[in-house]
Amino acid sequence: MPALAAWYDLRDLGHYVTSVINWLQDDLSAPDWVTYVVSGVIGIVAILLWLLISQLSFIWIERRIIGRMQARIGPNRVGPRGLLQPIADALKLLLKEAITVRLADRPLFWLGPVLIFVPAMVVFAVIPFGKGMTLADLNVGVLFVIAIGSTNTVAVFIAGWSSNNKFALLGAMRTVAMLISYELIQVLALLGVVVFAGSMRLGEVVAWQSHYNAWLLFLQPLALVSFMIASAVEINRSPMDISEAESEIVAGYHTEYSGIKFGFFYTAEYFAGFAISAVTVTLFLGGWTAWGLEEWVPGWLLFLSKLYLVFFLFIWTRGTLPRLRIDQLMAFAWKFLLPLALVNVLVAGGEVLAWREGDISSNVALPIFGVANAVLAAQLIIGWGTFMGHLKPERRAKRAVLTQELGAVYYVPPKRPAGEP
Amino acid sequence: MDDAGSVIAFWLLAALTVGSALGVIAVRDLIRALVLLITSFLGVAGLYITLSADFVAVAQVLIYAGAISILLIFAIMLTPRASRDNAETFLQVPAFLLAGLVAFTIAFISLQTDWSIAERGGFGETASAIGEALLSKYVLPFEMASVLLLVAMLGAIVLVRPEGTPEE
Amino acid sequence: MPMKTEPFVVNIGPQHPSTHGVFRMRLTLDGERITDADMVIGYLHRSMEKLAEERSFTQVIPFTDRTDYVAAMTGNLAYVLAAEKLCGIEAPERAQWLRVIMSELQRFASHSMAVGVFANDCGAWQTPVMHMFREREKILDLFEMACGARLTTNYMRIGGVSRDIPPEFMPAAHKLLAELPKRMDEYEDLLVENEIIVARSRGVGVLPAELAIATSVSGPMLRASGVAWDIRKADPYAAYERLEFDICVGTNGDVYDRFLVRVAEMRQSIRILEQALAMIPDGPVAVDVPVALRPPAGEAYGRIESPRGELGFYVVSDGGPAPYRFHIRSPSYINLTPLRDLAIGATVADAIVILGSIDIVVGEVDR
Repeated sequence: MPALAAWYDLRDLGHYVTSVINWLQDDLSAPDWVTYVVSGVIGIVAILLWLLISQLSFIWIERRIIGRMQARIGPNRVGPRGLLQPIADALKLLLKEAITVRLADRPLFWLGPVLIFVPAMVVFAVIPFGKGMTLADLNVGVLFVIAIGSTNTVAVFIAGWSSNNKFALLGAMRTVAMLISYELIQVLALLGVVVFAGSMRLGEVVAWQSHYNAWLLFLQPLALVSFMIASAVEINRSPMDISEAESEIVAGYHTEYSGIKFGFFYTAEYFAGFAISAVTVTLFLGGWTAWGLEEWVPGWLLFLSKLYLVFFLFIWTRGTLPRLRIDQLMAFAWKFLLPLALVNVLVAGGEVLAWREGDISSNVALPIFGVANAVLAAQLIIGWGTFMGHLKPERRAKRAVLTQELGAVYYVPPKRPAGEP
Repeated sequence: MDDAGSVIAFWLLAALTVGSALGVIAVRDLIRALVLLITSFLGVAGLYITLSADFVAVAQVLIYAGAISILLIFAIMLTPRASRDNAETFLQVPAFLLAGLVAFTIAFISLQTDWSIAERGGFGETASAIGEALLSKYVLPFEMASVLLLVAMLGAIVLVRPEGTPEE
Repeated sequence: MPMKTEPFVVNIGPQHPSTHGVFRMRLTLDGERITDADMVIGYLHRSMEKLAEERSFTQVIPFTDRTDYVAAMTGNLAYVLAAEKLCGIEAPERAQWLRVIMSELQRFASHSMAVGVFANDCGAWQTPVMHMFREREKILDLFEMACGARLTTNYMRIGGVSRDIPPEFMPAAHKLLAELPKRMDEYEDLLVENEIIVARSRGVGVLPAELAIATSVSGPMLRASGVAWDIRKADPYAAYERLEFDICVGTNGDVYDRFLVRVAEMRQSIRILEQALAMIPDGPVAVDVPVALRPPAGEAYGRIESPRGELGFYVVSDGGPAPYRFHIRSPSYINLTPLRDLAIGATVADAIVILGSIDIVVGEVDR
């Protein structure tokens, strides 16, 4: 039985798993399919365990953080400092009656939560957690992530439709329109990454970032921002949680779900949040590498810390920002992010072409690209925003007029018909 | 395609694909038919994977299960409620005859053709090969497909525009 | 080729997280746009006006707490002014100043809630609400110090106020007043300058000035439409004539301006409070009024500027111990008049925001 270099040396868990597999194959001469199944099972069990533990902890962490942001404490009743709150939540959801509305389409009603849950977990199959720690390092990893994310759309619609409820249907249609708009932005943002790394394999992208000692965050800032915004929309996370807007259409597409079925939606939102953070970390923040730090600190530990930091960003925006209207959100996607993403792809392509054809050394080329891209991103955002009228005086904040004249009328009729974004 | 795993996978996926496709025409409710159609798409993606066509498989999921199903959803939403039933029509017999004819033709041709089975090489990168082919050998169909999509998008916008007011 | 769409009736409320109470709106939608809006009220009707006819003039005062339960002090004050006009009594100096202090504290607390809940309607997940409730809690603590109750205060009496403030009130009030301007800066930074709130509320629910005047709208809604009308200046009561403050006016009449007007009024309240706490004289706090008060026959209308608008009480006496007729002119009820015109053409999300900006309290609407 192969063993770790020392019992505390957790750096090379991936190597350990590979040596177990090799031991199975060579020493025990097991048939191929046994090796295959064993490696699959190890990977799946590890990922699922980690996901569940993370999700349970983050229920508590998120609510405490948001509580702190709102000048209050957060859960502190259940267990010491409220630490057993996730258990209480899980128990409550399991024990609640899962009401199935009488007029709902029963098979589809049952299918909705399942279909939402699956894509969030499947994405983790292609993500490199550390050295040699990928469940399935597909050649088309990036495209796989997007494809699985796109099945989320259908699942949302089925959940909304099968509830047989006007509010749920309204929420579902809004969500579908939003999701297909932002899928495009996601793809274009990731295209910039793929152009630089030269491959769609996630392991390759991490290796590229490690080899050139440059995180793609510095080379493609616009792509990172677009990707994070588009992904926040894709997972229906605040500030784009229009589909579950509590103050508007109660809970949108999952209004009619209760009990463990709602638990599935709730859990799937967390899993999807982790998935998005994982993809962001892998593609833009160097994955499990950190400029050579992975020699001393285990790679997967670095990966997880980065993932949790990115997820904290999502929690932060959730606690702070109000949400946009659906038509404003779609206008933002089509009129603002899409042209910017297209320009980004064009520029990225040009830069990589110049770099390879011109045979410039990477030490010279990459810093230039980084600075150029950052400046370009800032200019594009400001310039296009001004062009589209986002910084016009009537969009800006102002103050009320203070007066002493009683009875005077200060009303200025609007120049355009009211209600347009 | 010789080992037991591939054969089992092929038969399972084929059963899934054909079964769901049959379900699409047999089921009463349109949305359930749509769900079965999506299952059929996923089955086809699985079949692509057994053929080591990774890019095409993932593209199948992305485009068919992800986008075309949404298109069908919108199409269903836009039809009035009354005509959403997969009800009895007098066109059933001619439709079956026509479908049977097409299926027979394809089966006959595929069984008669002398397929040259290529040697199963390693699992290579298909994405770059497809990309190169699209931009060198097949660039004309590629560009024409883009123009077709553009025309379709413009047509959709023109059709939906309310009279008189400019689109937002 | 026009697409055929069917109108779609959606019911918002009475149980809904955002309708500020049991209020029901039936919206007829065409896609996302509203083509018709129907309001159904009466879910909180408690027949206060009829019940008042069987209570004495002093026993009616707790009812006035519960009409506008978010701003109880101002409710008390409006009724007490009407009753004092009927009886021909005038409250002593210290009582007038105490009335001003309590009214302005109440105005600040009520606007805190209105602004916080408005941001909540825009989707900001209760964070602004929690922050604004910090100040509201401190003000409610002051009320508890003064009269024993936080929400339904029952503080004003015919001829003055019910009791004098305890000695710890003034230092606590000064301490609170010292931190309020800083907090207002914080809130203005977080909310007024926020891109998303501006995008959600600018140009939404525009109420033109003529329509506002024609539908008898009052309060911040009227002032946001540009009409500078404040009862504290137009028909001064209590000690307002001796105080310096500005009328806060908007220019566009949209939801954003109503929000701005409320924020500016909070600052003006701070200004008034600073002056009042400095200028309050000593003396008696109430005129001796018989328990079984029988005002002479006649009618009186007492009105004040409540945080929601003009709150008026029309009291008719026939010489008996109970009012012959007791009518509440509630600002929320009248302010709802243009809701249909504002909602038509907006989207569902906008309708919620517009309703939030009118700042209704269903206790007042239904009485």
